[in-house]
Amino acid sequence: MSAAFSPELIGKIEALAGRYPVKAASLLPVLHLVQSERGHVSAEDERAVAGLLGMPPVKVREVMTFYTMFRRIPVGRYHIQVCTNLSCALAGGDSLAAHLETKLGVKLGGTTADGKFTLTGVECLGACETAPCLMINFDYYGNLDAARIDDLLGSLT
Amino acid sequence: MTKAPQVLTEFFWLEQLPRIEAYVARGGYEALKKALAQMKPDEVHDEVRKAGLRGRGGAGFPAGVKWGFIPKGTDKPKYLCVNADEGEPGTFKDRSILSHDPHLLIEGIVLTSYAVGIHAAYVYIRGEYEMIARRLEGAIDEARRAGFLGRNIFGSGFDLEIVVHRGAGAYVCGEETALLESLEGKRGNPRLKPPFPAAVGLFQCPTVINNVETLANVPFIIRNGAPWFLDLGVPKDGGTRIFGVSGAVAKPGLYELPSGTSLREIIFTHAGGIKDGRKLKAVIPGGMSSPILRADEIDVHMDVDSVAAAGSMLGSGGIIVIADGTPILQVLRKVAAFYAHESCGQCTPCRLGTSWIHKTVERMAAGRGQAGDVDALLRLAANIQGRTLCPLGDAAAMPVAAIARKFRTELESGLDRAGVRP
Amino acid sequence: MIKLFIDGAAVEVPEGTTVFKAAEQAGIALPHFCFHPAFAPEGTCRLCLVQIEGSPKLELSCSTVIREGMKVVTQSPAVGEARRGVLEFLLAEHPLDCPICDKAGECKLQDYSRDYGLTESAFREFKEKRDKKVAIGEKLLLDRERCIQCTRCVRFLAEVTKTHELGVFERGVRTEIGILDGVPVQNGYSGNLVDLCPVGAITDTDFRFKTRPWFLSRAESVCPHCGRGCNIYVDYHPGLPRVPGSAKVFRIRPRTNEAVNGPWICDVGRYGYVRAQNAGRSDRPFWNKDGAKTELGWDTAMAILGDKLRALVDAGRADRVAVAATSWLTNEELFLVKKIFRDDFGSGRIVLCDPRPGEGDDFLRRPDRTPNARGARELGFDPAPPALEALARGTEVLILFGPHIAEHFRPAELRAALDGIAVKVLVTPHLTGLEGLMDGVLASATPAEKDGSFTNFEGRVQPFAAAARPCPDVRSELEILAALAGSLGLRPDYYGRLTTAAAVRRELAKEIPFFGARA
Repeated sequence: MSAAFSPELIGKIEALAGRYPVKAASLLPVLHLVQSERGHVSAEDERAVAGLLGMPPVKVREVMTFYTMFRRIPVGRYHIQVCTNLSCALAGGDSLAAHLETKLGVKLGGTTADGKFTLTGVECLGACETAPCLMINFDYYGNLDAARIDDLLGSLT
Repeated sequence: MTKAPQVLTEFFWLEQLPRIEAYVARGGYEALKKALAQMKPDEVHDEVRKAGLRGRGGAGFPAGVKWGFIPKGTDKPKYLCVNADEGEPGTFKDRSILSHDPHLLIEGIVLTSYAVGIHAAYVYIRGEYEMIARRLEGAIDEARRAGFLGRNIFGSGFDLEIVVHRGAGAYVCGEETALLESLEGKRGNPRLKPPFPAAVGLFQCPTVINNVETLANVPFIIRNGAPWFLDLGVPKDGGTRIFGVSGAVAKPGLYELPSGTSLREIIFTHAGGIKDGRKLKAVIPGGMSSPILRADEIDVHMDVDSVAAAGSMLGSGGIIVIADGTPILQVLRKVAAFYAHESCGQCTPCRLGTSWIHKTVERMAAGRGQAGDVDALLRLAANIQGRTLCPLGDAAAMPVAAIARKFRTELESGLDRAGVRP
Repeated sequence: MIKLFIDGAAVEVPEGTTVFKAAEQAGIALPHFCFHPAFAPEGTCRLCLVQIEGSPKLELSCSTVIREGMKVVTQSPAVGEARRGVLEFLLAEHPLDCPICDKAGECKLQDYSRDYGLTESAFREFKEKRDKKVAIGEKLLLDRERCIQCTRCVRFLAEVTKTHELGVFERGVRTEIGILDGVPVQNGYSGNLVDLCPVGAITDTDFRFKTRPWFLSRAESVCPHCGRGCNIYVDYHPGLPRVPGSAKVFRIRPRTNEAVNGPWICDVGRYGYVRAQNAGRSDRPFWNKDGAKTELGWDTAMAILGDKLRALVDAGRADRVAVAATSWLTNEELFLVKKIFRDDFGSGRIVLCDPRPGEGDDFLRRPDRTPNARGARELGFDPAPPALEALARGTEVLILFGPHIAEHFRPAELRAALDGIAVKVLVTPHLTGLEGLMDGVLASATPAEKDGSFTNFEGRVQPFAAAARPCPDVRSELEILAALAGSLGLRPDYYGRLTTAAAVRRELAKEIPFFGARA
């Protein structure tokens, strides 16, 4: 069970909803907001959002499961999203992902036992000039190799 | 070839450029001042129409013509949607405009809105560009404080508000009607057309949808005039393009060059040629959806019509270079996996066709290929192409068909090696 | 009117018509899954593609609006190839479990695959494994392997009931229909999802594995469960020639009537048939004599009742008969009740005794629990429940149609009031316990088993014909009433003609202007 939305969060949600002629249009920004505050969006959170935006809860679930960035379960403190698409692959991206799997001891999609890292394979991040690249939370890192990855992971506390 | 003129990216080296002072100092918002003070909306529209500015998002449709589809004298609100959902693999130009020069986009948005009579614009930016979205919101605040946005801009009586809206990880939302659905808080399922967005778009109102790079060209067209713009490129495709070169080149990066620059020149002159002294094998010239070109097919001018005539697509100008030694099956796997992952799933041929292709390619890659697999891929691609609700089906089918057709021998020799050919 | 050409033949249709509907009008049925006339075109199944002259690609017939002079080709190699392509994709991921699928025989995927000659598959990959038995409602099971994502079910719940229980989750090949966190489809109209589903993805536990569609016959009828009068099909097994009595109703489905119910019916009407048709039936007449129940043949039963009534007539006390009718009866039956007992017997105690009203909704369901309250009113019956005292006082023969009187009075009260009546006969399709207070019970037919008409709450008179009669020893009230009139020798020139529902309906129209205007 997650706690109810705080008045502050409700205020922010209503402000986002106010930017559109139709409240429901703010669903994506609102889900981003809830996720950034709570780490993920639980089923109760979905229902709360649906209530605030005046939409059927099933519509929120439809949206949650359509977009890859929304998370229904918690992720690690550092969410590593490694590009597995072509430009990165041509620059060694696949071996980078494999290196991360070995290093963290989880497969793509997994979270380390200590809850520190979640490793996800993603499609093109739009930073192909720095291939191979990845994102940690919302920060981009490019021109990577195994050594740089090790340094990077080491710098994260 | 003369030295390439840089237009959009000329000041990208300026570290302070994202700040409004730096942008104004290099002549920013001059076009807007000129337009609001001296030009009627129709004159702004006419200038863009005369410039023949073609969309930089992928389809290459002339922006001025698109604006012209907005019904005149409607009493409904009209909207501008800025397509910043850059997700086409191999494409990273919009990210660079947004992060280096957000005010250039804002100026383009205000000019376009003025030309079409729009008072609310939404920038649909891909969800991963969170930092950039925040920077853009900061720039919008700066512009509002400086009087370039908001109510009564420069005392002209023209009002405009811009809202930044982040996507959340769905390539299909780069398709304009899926983008509208997503902006309305729904799944990014493309809409049936007609009606077209110009008539029934965002919130059922007339809507213009333009790509970031397209809009970024507008201030320059207004400042320098249509003839100047046309002079930069080729007759039917003026201006410059920001080509993104990635893959096996010595200097991957963005290269702003006139429309019509040859692909060979971009790769070998600007991007430093093939990395590590390898040889060129193939090029994907305009983002992953564009059909692959073999090494002997790269003497093509990179403008919309020339690339189409060569059997591919200028698309987003994202050039992915593949060197000898890279198995074509590796490329095919990435293509197949991507579209299977990104199909919205609502229409039959795309939902099931992309998945079938993906499964077949994975089986081939696992060494369990069979005689006839290449033909099967061609047939599957043909069953998708032209039969889907939105262009994603074509985008998925075309590159698969091109690879299967042009690299049949290599793919089939792979089957031999796997030893399962009957 | 706009003129266009479909497969070379000129067709004229109103402006704004779609190619799909124009073709339908020209007698050409185009294959489709996602399109349904109740909803806006979805355009996602891609099966209804046609060729339109001047168009480089195949176009959707469901969403393309016709233009003057348009030339449409609905069958061509290109069209066939496109449709085969769609079907091949669908079949590749389909479990092909037709032998155990309830939809087999009326499945669109099966029909179209046969039409387009798909027998072999080039699919060499693994099919997706999906849930095959997801309970999405009290009587609804979803098989995700059979689902073809037409989303008719989702759209029904979004647009018609507006209850939004189902959603489309995930995307791409993983796209699936589902309910939210176990909250079932529960809105009083859930059964429509089964009809809407063009394949066997949503099946009805009520029908599941009970029979096969090709064994069933279909009769047109009118739902008796409220005053809406939804038009229905009664799907029944007609029985086997050498096994008497095995006819059985297996399901009720909506029959489209835009003026009454559109293409939908409610769950009470759909599943009510079990109660109305198959459960608690009184299946033959019987008489209670000295505390013992004696089953009788119809001739004997009718003779006993006839004798009792003739005795009253002969004694000049014909008005000592009381009748409590019900608006479960047809217009024709209620008319005969009035004619026989009011006009010919001269009884002033001809009342209506209906079940208590229940709850209605703002869609189809009406609060009245009978199909013909309006018809009864137009025939002069007072809808208020009768006063027991007035009904019983001085009554020597009481005929009750239907057991509803027990809803209005406490058992002791009822027993006390009825005790003084010499002859009490209940005419009913169902036994609910009231028969213990009766002298005789005549087993009657349900609406699905008889001919007649009901007048719906809006005053629409809707005739219908009998479907199955699973209990061979029941009679319709019309048959009972006509037989009584005959055996009592009442005005043979008049009643002699009134032995069928159609004949009574003609008479009704002649005598009562309300029905005359609607004949």
